[in-house]
Amino acid sequence: MFQLISTRSVQAARLLAPRSAMPLEAVRGRKSRADPVAKSKEGRMKVPPPVDPVEMVVLHERYTEYQLILRALRLEFKEELLRRKYEEETGSQAEEKAKQESEEHCGLMAWNNQENLHLLKARVARIQKEKEEAECRKMEAALQCEQKQQELLKQKEKEILQLQEDAKNFITLENLDQRIEDALDNPQNYNFAVDKEGRVVRRTLLQ
Amino acid sequence: MPRYELALILKAMQRPETAATLRRTVETLMERGAVVRNLENLGERLLPYKMTKHDQRHTRGTYFLIDFYSAPNILTGLLDHLHRDVDVVRPTVLRKDEQVRRSTCCGPQQ
Repeated sequence: MFQLISTRSVQAARLLAPRSAMPLEAVRGRKSRADPVAKSKEGRMKVPPPVDPVEMVVLHERYTEYQLILRALRLEFKEELLRRKYEEETGSQAEEKAKQESEEHCGLMAWNNQENLHLLKARVARIQKEKEEAECRKMEAALQCEQKQQELLKQKEKEILQLQEDAKNFITLENLDQRIEDALDNPQNYNFAVDKEGRVVRRTLLQ
Repeated sequence: MPRYELALILKAMQRPETAATLRRTVETLMERGAVVRNLENLGERLLPYKMTKHDQRHTRGTYFLIDFYSAPNILTGLLDHLHRDVDVVRPTVLRKDEQVRRSTCCGPQQ
């Protein structure tokens, strides 16, 4: 019913507002089951189409033959498929094939294991080398450190010695007067003059 | 201990008074725990400009350099003391830096 309404409404819309020249379609089943029969169809007897008996017989025979042939063909094809499947699973060559496959599998697995061993050895060797190199570098770094510390120590000792030497010239309460007299007697002059050729002149006028 | 240099400008005085001032200064230094290394005289000369200190106008002065080792905390006290000294025109304490290692510096090449 709803479908009818929908199609009806569509058709009605098409009829009412034809934008382009659209062909009018015949709607099947305009009436529902409960609607009364039309007056023009009153007393109508539905008669099936006439059948020619000779033609019917001929056709029947031909159809049976045809269907027989087709059925036989279908069954043959199905049988062939089943046979092939059966042979593949449990045929004469199935065992040989299975053996070959398993041998191949074994061979490949053996090859794979060998390759793995190779790579393992290479990896172990590489790691060993790297470790040794790292050890070497560490040792060298430690040596360098030691050397630097030694050098520093030597430097410091030199400085201390230098300072000890200088300390003999420091001013103390005893030589204070002497040093003052020396200083007053010897005036120092740090002024100098330079020219572009690099000649240095230290004799300047002390005002 | 860090190393300092006292650039001292004294009033233009006679020799014994200058000696006395110097002695006074060095003794002050040593009292405060400094180790005096060297004392240099740069001579009596004309000051670069006239300086007024302790109600006196100074035109000439005697320059002295005292380098010493000391702790840094005594310097303010020392400078106070020197500013109050009548014979001192200008005391200046500078720090002596360590010698820069003359390595091959990258400078403009001729």
